[in-house]
Amino acid sequence: MKALRDVLDKVHPLFAKGGILEAAYPMYEALDTFLYTPGEVASGKTHVRDGIDLKRMMITVVMALVPVTLFGMWNVGYQANSAIQKMEAVGIDHVGDWHYTIYNAIGFTNDPGNIAANLVLGAIFFIPIYAVCMFVGGHVELVFSVLRGHEINEGFLVTGLLFPLTLPASIPLWQVALGIAFGVIVAKEVFGGTGRNFLNVALTSRAFLYFAYAGQISGDKIWTAVDGFSGATALGQMANAQAQDGVANPAVQSLGSVMYLWGEGSITWMSTFLGTIQGCVGETSTLLCIVGAGILIATGIGSWKIMAAVVAGVIGTTLLMNGVAVISPDSVAANPMLGVPFYWHLTIGGLAFGLVFMATDPVSASMTDNGKWFYGALIGFMTVLIRVVNPAFPEGIMLAILFGNVFAPLIDYYVVQANVSSRRKRYATT
Amino acid sequence: MAKKTTDVLVDPLINNNPIALQILGICSALAVTTKMETSLVMSLAVIAVTAFSNLAVSAIRHFIPSSIRIIVQMTVIASLVIVVDQILKAYMYDISKQLSVFVGLIITNCIVMGRAEGFAMKNGPWVSFLDGIGNGMGYGLVLMFVAFFRELFGSGSLFGIELLPLDRNGGWYNPNNLMLLPPSAFFLIGFLIWAIRAYKPDQIEEA
Amino acid sequence: MQQRDSLGYTLGVAAVLCVACSLAVSTAAVSLRGRQEANVKLDQQKNILDATGLAIGEYGVQANELTTKQIDTLNAYVSSKLVDLETGAYDGDGDPEKYNLVEEAANPETSIPIESPTFNPGEPRRPKVMKVYFVKKPGTDKILQVVLPVYGKGLWGTLYGYLALKSDLETIQGLTFYQHKETPGLGGEVDNPRWKAMWDGRKLYDEETGQPKAMVFKGPAPKTDEYAVDGLSGATITSRGVTNLIRYWASDDGYGTYLSKLKEEINDDKSSASEGDK
Repeated sequence: MKALRDVLDKVHPLFAKGGILEAAYPMYEALDTFLYTPGEVASGKTHVRDGIDLKRMMITVVMALVPVTLFGMWNVGYQANSAIQKMEAVGIDHVGDWHYTIYNAIGFTNDPGNIAANLVLGAIFFIPIYAVCMFVGGHVELVFSVLRGHEINEGFLVTGLLFPLTLPASIPLWQVALGIAFGVIVAKEVFGGTGRNFLNVALTSRAFLYFAYAGQISGDKIWTAVDGFSGATALGQMANAQAQDGVANPAVQSLGSVMYLWGEGSITWMSTFLGTIQGCVGETSTLLCIVGAGILIATGIGSWKIMAAVVAGVIGTTLLMNGVAVISPDSVAANPMLGVPFYWHLTIGGLAFGLVFMATDPVSASMTDNGKWFYGALIGFMTVLIRVVNPAFPEGIMLAILFGNVFAPLIDYYVVQANVSSRRKRYATT
Repeated sequence: MAKKTTDVLVDPLINNNPIALQILGICSALAVTTKMETSLVMSLAVIAVTAFSNLAVSAIRHFIPSSIRIIVQMTVIASLVIVVDQILKAYMYDISKQLSVFVGLIITNCIVMGRAEGFAMKNGPWVSFLDGIGNGMGYGLVLMFVAFFRELFGSGSLFGIELLPLDRNGGWYNPNNLMLLPPSAFFLIGFLIWAIRAYKPDQIEEA
Repeated sequence: MQQRDSLGYTLGVAAVLCVACSLAVSTAAVSLRGRQEANVKLDQQKNILDATGLAIGEYGVQANELTTKQIDTLNAYVSSKLVDLETGAYDGDGDPEKYNLVEEAANPETSIPIESPTFNPGEPRRPKVMKVYFVKKPGTDKILQVVLPVYGKGLWGTLYGYLALKSDLETIQGLTFYQHKETPGLGGEVDNPRWKAMWDGRKLYDEETGQPKAMVFKGPAPKTDEYAVDGLSGATITSRGVTNLIRYWASDDGYGTYLSKLKEEINDDKSSASEGDK
């Protein structure tokens, strides 16, 4: 270890101001501070003592994401292996792409009961996505840091993991590259880099892909990484449910008979809670999102107020929608989503993942304590509104969080103004 | 006021572009730029309206009572726009159908009004005419820039000629649907302004 | 200079300007009206020709690329009549030339509300009378195709189009939409010639029950399915809208009554024609 330190110290003059590699200083600095705690201390008169810095904060978020990520990889493999097994059972041949060539070369078969096999297959899908994302996004960040003389920081470690987790495993890699490049440039670097973005970078990347290549990021064919596979997600199934006579809640009812290539299947509430359903890599398991939420709240990094407010917003809005459904049963016939109860809304789609890891992003969320309640409630409200009322988009959490991001500064402004005026009244000195 | 005539014509292209520097006339730049063809016709329509309204306003500028000058300018512009719209409907029906209301909306395009009030009221007819052409071309240039990227990446073609065969028609190119939606023009204009201001830092407003 | 702000002068300038501008505008409008009306008519004719497949059949290109002369030649094939949907009888009183679908549908006197239809097109009203088009060889009376105007809700708005049927009145010749607001690249693919070509030869009615059965499939349609075309990828609601509107207009709520009547007529003609031959 000493030797490494020596090497770093030795080349330091090359990168320092006036050195021949001055332009590349951000690269040197990134490597140095990644490996060692920086030797510099803050100078000047005011100095807050706190053990936490940007780096530790980001690493904590990454750690909170580990359970979701591992489960996500297992689930990708599990879904794919189950689908192949069931397809073969009814005589549909499966021709795998290069992912399966590698998978079979390692010596695994399509057995959904084998935990290791599922994990490996999931990893074969997920790791290339992650690698492309880190490589492209990291280099975009590097170019801007070098051009602007900034330091590279760990902000991208989190974005680079969050973004792949919001994608379906079957996404083409070039789209991952395009999406993350767009997100990093438009949502972050344009506004001055880490800490200055008013939109969540990972979600901006995803929104770009969502509108640019809707075919590869929504619909029925993409969620399970098996060629020729087709099957709706819980949300898609609910949104397309047809009204039936004598069925009080056609949307939930329809989950009992989801059509797959091999025949009928069903989605239970417990499977949406545990996450053994198809969906984006990281979003399926509500349970593990709660574990992640626990880590974030315990370490004080994620705001429990925002999470609670989103949940409250979702429950409140859902009850409102259910109320409409009770008052006018005809409206349920026209729009089955109206009758979906809140405990389904909370476990299906990407809501849990979004509210724990995206809505709480400290840079793009509201800063003020009271503002966080408004911000979270707004996200919850918009999510349900988009899911239920908008005919074009079955899922709403991504757009709702971006919407909340846009409003966060305004919310903060009014909270601060309200505070100022109430204090002025209290200490009226006219 | 002794601006050189060539400056009047060339300045609005990059140095003082009505869209990129003054951020005027964005509305139609978002709406009509999915295709090069419609953008070109729209640009020509705006060039014609700006040039002739400048000419007309400048020619009668000594007779216009100042209390109703804005109304006079609006009337002249509105009449010209209606005439242009009628001509398009008669001779380029398909394109006029695609442009729909946006030809009519040239009336509210700030560039036209801005040049009439800001330039033609103070300058002679010939210079005003050139200024109108220059500003119309500045607008058209940005439109064509945006349309180039939107049509190429959104539909795989330029002026309707297929360059990147689309996958849904048996080719290899997977079109970017975002480019077909209006927000993409915002991004493209943003990137363009970024590029121009990186090249000419004096255009950056003071914060 | 002060003169320029006096009331009389101001009013004078305003008056002169108004006259000058209105002259310019009205001259343009009047002198170009003929051309514009011809354009509107031509556009509608092109849409009908696209639905019938005549343009492709005769000249191998979309109607859009035909010359005016070629369109005139093809138009000799097309004639139109007004049909009362309730009774299925022709409406001799109205003038097909003056018929306007949107106006008829909006006017409460000439339209009826669409209430609990078997297949819901998502529209509030339909005209009592519709204008249908026939494709016949010039100079003959044998109907080659019938073109029915159809409309219904897609994702963002109403789709207006023409459904062309072959002479058996059960097989679809073509479907084309001339006005819609669907998302470009997704639902907007209803304009894709490849997709439109798939309608050729689809069966409109179920052979056993006689109910409308033609549909846009969810995903690629099975090759053996005579009733379905491929779904538009990423556009579930547009696809469903197209299915519903076709079925609605094919059902007895729409053209059903008229079509069965017309079928009898055609069959009668055939038998009488063959008798005449003997």
